[in-house]
Amino acid sequence: MKRISRRQFLKLFGLGAGAMFFTHILSRLGLAQLGKQKFNNRMKKDIKTDHDLVAVKGEDPAAITKKAIEALGGMARFVKPKAVVLIKPNIGWDRAPEYGANTTPEVVAALVELCFAAGAKRVNVFDNTCNASQRCYENSGIKKAALAKGAQVYFVDSWNVVKANFPFESTMENWPVFRDALECDTFINAPILKHHGSTKLTLGMKNLMGVCSGNRGLMHVDLGTKIFEMAQFIVPELTVIDSYRYLKRHGPAGGDLNDVELRKTVIASADYMLADVYASRFVDIDPNSIPYIARAIDRGLCSPYLTGKDIVELTI
Amino acid sequence: MKKLILTKRISQSLFFILFVYILWSTTYPLKSSISPEIIFKLDPLVLLIISLSEKLILAGIISSLIMLVLALFLGRFFCGWVCPLGSIIDFSGRDNKGVIFSDNRNKSARKAKFVILGIIFFLAILGMQVVWVFDPLVIAARFVSLNFIPAATFAIEGFFSWVIRTFQLYGPLYDFYRSLKGSFLGVKVYYFSHALVIFAYFLAIFIAGYKLKRSWCRIVCPLGAMYALIARFSLFQRRIQNCNYCLKCKSACRMGAIKDDLSYDKGECILCMDCVYNCPQKITRFSFIGWGFPLENKVNNAGGSGISRRQFLALAFFAGLARPGNVRAEILGLKPVRQKVLRPPGSLKEEEFLNRCVRCGNCMKVCITNGLQPALFGSGLSGMWTPQLVPEIGYCEYHCTLCGNVCPTGAIPKLTEQEKLKTRLGLPKIDRNICIPWKDNKECLVCEEHCPIPNKAIKLKKVEVNGKIIFRPYLSLKLCIGCGICQTKCPTRPERAIKVYPVRVTHGEV
Repeated sequence: MKRISRRQFLKLFGLGAGAMFFTHILSRLGLAQLGKQKFNNRMKKDIKTDHDLVAVKGEDPAAITKKAIEALGGMARFVKPKAVVLIKPNIGWDRAPEYGANTTPEVVAALVELCFAAGAKRVNVFDNTCNASQRCYENSGIKKAALAKGAQVYFVDSWNVVKANFPFESTMENWPVFRDALECDTFINAPILKHHGSTKLTLGMKNLMGVCSGNRGLMHVDLGTKIFEMAQFIVPELTVIDSYRYLKRHGPAGGDLNDVELRKTVIASADYMLADVYASRFVDIDPNSIPYIARAIDRGLCSPYLTGKDIVELTI
Repeated sequence: MKKLILTKRISQSLFFILFVYILWSTTYPLKSSISPEIIFKLDPLVLLIISLSEKLILAGIISSLIMLVLALFLGRFFCGWVCPLGSIIDFSGRDNKGVIFSDNRNKSARKAKFVILGIIFFLAILGMQVVWVFDPLVIAARFVSLNFIPAATFAIEGFFSWVIRTFQLYGPLYDFYRSLKGSFLGVKVYYFSHALVIFAYFLAIFIAGYKLKRSWCRIVCPLGAMYALIARFSLFQRRIQNCNYCLKCKSACRMGAIKDDLSYDKGECILCMDCVYNCPQKITRFSFIGWGFPLENKVNNAGGSGISRRQFLALAFFAGLARPGNVRAEILGLKPVRQKVLRPPGSLKEEEFLNRCVRCGNCMKVCITNGLQPALFGSGLSGMWTPQLVPEIGYCEYHCTLCGNVCPTGAIPKLTEQEKLKTRLGLPKIDRNICIPWKDNKECLVCEEHCPIPNKAIKLKKVEVNGKIIFRPYLSLKLCIGCGICQTKCPTRPERAIKVYPVRVTHGEV
C-alpha cells in the first residue's frame, strides 16, 4: 500500500473539509429551505357583491356557473387585470364526472374562461389528490377541460411548500401548505357538494384540505377545527359550490351511480362560511352537525340561519 | 474497415436507446406503441424455459423462435449488435488488449455457460424456473427499470427543484419543470426497496466485463450459450486469405473465439468485427458460405462449442441431485408453497407464480402508486425479486390494470377493468390497540374515506363515549378486495392500525 505524507494528508483533509463546507453552503442556500419559510395568512379583501349569495339552477353546468358569477356582479369584482388566480377544484378521486366525486369539469372550465375574460394573467388549477394524481387529473376530465380554456394545470410538488404562520394559536400552526395557494391574487374555491364519512358533507372549507401537504391523515383528529382554521388562513375570495351532482351516500369517494342525485345547481358567494351554511341547508342537513361549520358558529363568526342575508335563487 | 465497427456501435446504441425508451415509457397511461412485453417475447431462453417448467406453450414463443432461426443465418449477431447488457459491457470502453487466453483456457472458460444452460434446462424439466438469475435481458431490464430510471428521474428532479428553490426561479423555469413532470419525467420519483442488491448484481457483471471484456457473455450467459449452439451451424462466416499469422486478430478478439491456428469457434463469434478492423493486411472478411472468395487453409471453423455427451449426462445427474430438498417436496405436493406476501392483482397461485415470473421488473416499473416492490427474502429465496405489494409505500389503484398488461409471461394475467374491480389481493385486519377511534376515542376514519368499494368495505360503528359520539371502523370482509389503500393512508406511525394480509379467497367468499 502506498503511504501518504503528512503534507498530502493535510491537503486531502483540507480538500475534504472544503468540500463539506461548500456543500453545507449550497444546502443552506437551497435544500435547507425545504418548507422552512413561514407564510402569514392571506388577507381578507373587502369585495362588494350585488348579493350575499346566488344559487342558480339549470341544465347546463357551464351556463349556470356563468350566470351565478354574473348575478354576484361579475368576475371583475374578484379578478383584477393581470391577476394570478388559483382555482381549487376537487380532483381528489379517480372517478369519472358522473360519479359526483370530483368537481364537474364544465364548472371549472367556465370559471377559467370568466377569469381570463376579466383580464387574469394566469389561472392555476391544482389539487393534492387522494388517488394517484395522474389518474385523477385525467379521469375527472378537469385537466382536459381547464387546459382547453388556457389554464395552467399541474401536479403539486411536495417540496414547494411553506409553513403556515397563524395570527392566533392553532393546531394547524406550521402545517406545510403549497406555496401557490398563498401566492395568488384571487383564490377561487370550487368544491363539489357531496357526502363525507366523518364530517357529513364536503363543502367549501373542507375542500381547502387540498392545499395542505404532509400527512393529511393526521388532520382527521379534530378535523372540524383544523378545517375551519385552514379556511381562516386561506380566506378564499370566491366560493363556487358545484352541486350539479350531489353524492348522497358513500362519500367522499363514491363509485355508485345510484348514490348520485342530480341537483343541477351552482352556489356562489364571496362569503365562504355563508356558502357552506347555505349548501348544507340546500341538501337538508343541519349546519350545526357539520363540524367545521359548527366551529365557525361556536366562535360567533357565522350564523346557522340564512335570515337577514341577501340570497338570490335563479332558474335558467 | 472502420465503417463496420461504426455500424455495429450505432446498432448497439440504437437498440440500447430503444430498450431504455420502451422501459421509460412503461408507465401510466401506457400510451407508447411498443409494449415492454416485446423485449421478452424476443427472448427464446425465457420463453422456452418457462414453457418447459410450466408445461405449456407461452404466447410469443413463435416470435422468439424467429430469433433462433435468424441465428442460423447470422450467428450470434444478437449478442454483438443488439443485446443491451452486451452493449453496456462494451460501452465500459476497454479493449481486450493484453488479456489473451490459451486455446485450452478459452475452451474451459466458455464451457461454463453451457453447463449453466444445461442446469437451467434440467431444472425447468423438473418444474423449477431459475432463468431469472441469468437471462441477460432480464438483468438489463431490471437494472434499467429499478435502478437507472429511478436514479435518472431523481437526479433531474433534484436538480430542478434545487435550482428553482435556491435562485427563486418560480417563473418560466418552474413551468418548464412542471411540464416535464407532466410528461416524460413522471409525477413522482419512484423508489424501490433492495434496489441496491439489484444494482450490486449488475455492477458485478459490469466490473467483470471491465476486467475481461465480455466476460459475462463468454463465461456465464445462458442465452449466449443457446445462440452459440445454433450459431455453430450459421451460414455467415469469417474468412481469411493470404494470412501472415501476425495473430493480431486473436489478441483483439473480445470473445476469445479465435484459436492459435487462426480458425475460430463460430459459436463464440458475436460478429463484433474487431478482427476485421484490427487486421493489418485487411484480409479478414465476413461473408455467407458459398459467397465471396474461398478459404485459403482448411480450418475447422465449426466445432468446439458445447459439451460432450458424457458431460451432458453427468450434468443431468448432478442437476437432479442439486435440487433443494424442500423445493422438491413442494413440487411433489408434499408441502404446499405458502404465499407470504401480497401479490399483484390476479396473480397465479404462488408455486405457479414463482415459476412464471422472470423478475423483469415491468410490473414494478409500471405500478402507478409505486406499491409493487421487489421482494428480497420476504417470500423465500425462490421468490427473490418477485413483485410484492407493500401498502406502506403504495396501494393497488382500484381502476388500474397496468401490471397485468406489461407482464411478458402471464404470471400476472391481463384483467379487464370489470374483472379487476372484483379481484382480491388479500384481506385486512384492524388492530384495535393502535386504531385511533378504538384506542383513543378520537375521530379519524381516513380508511373509510379512502375505501374505493362503492358500498364501502369499511363500515362505521356509532358509539357514545363520555357523552361524545364517535365512529369506529370495522370491516365487511365480503366486500373487501384487499387493495390496501386503507393501510397506505392510515395515519398511525410507525405501525399502521389496519393491515392487509395475503389471504387466498376469491371475491365474495370470506
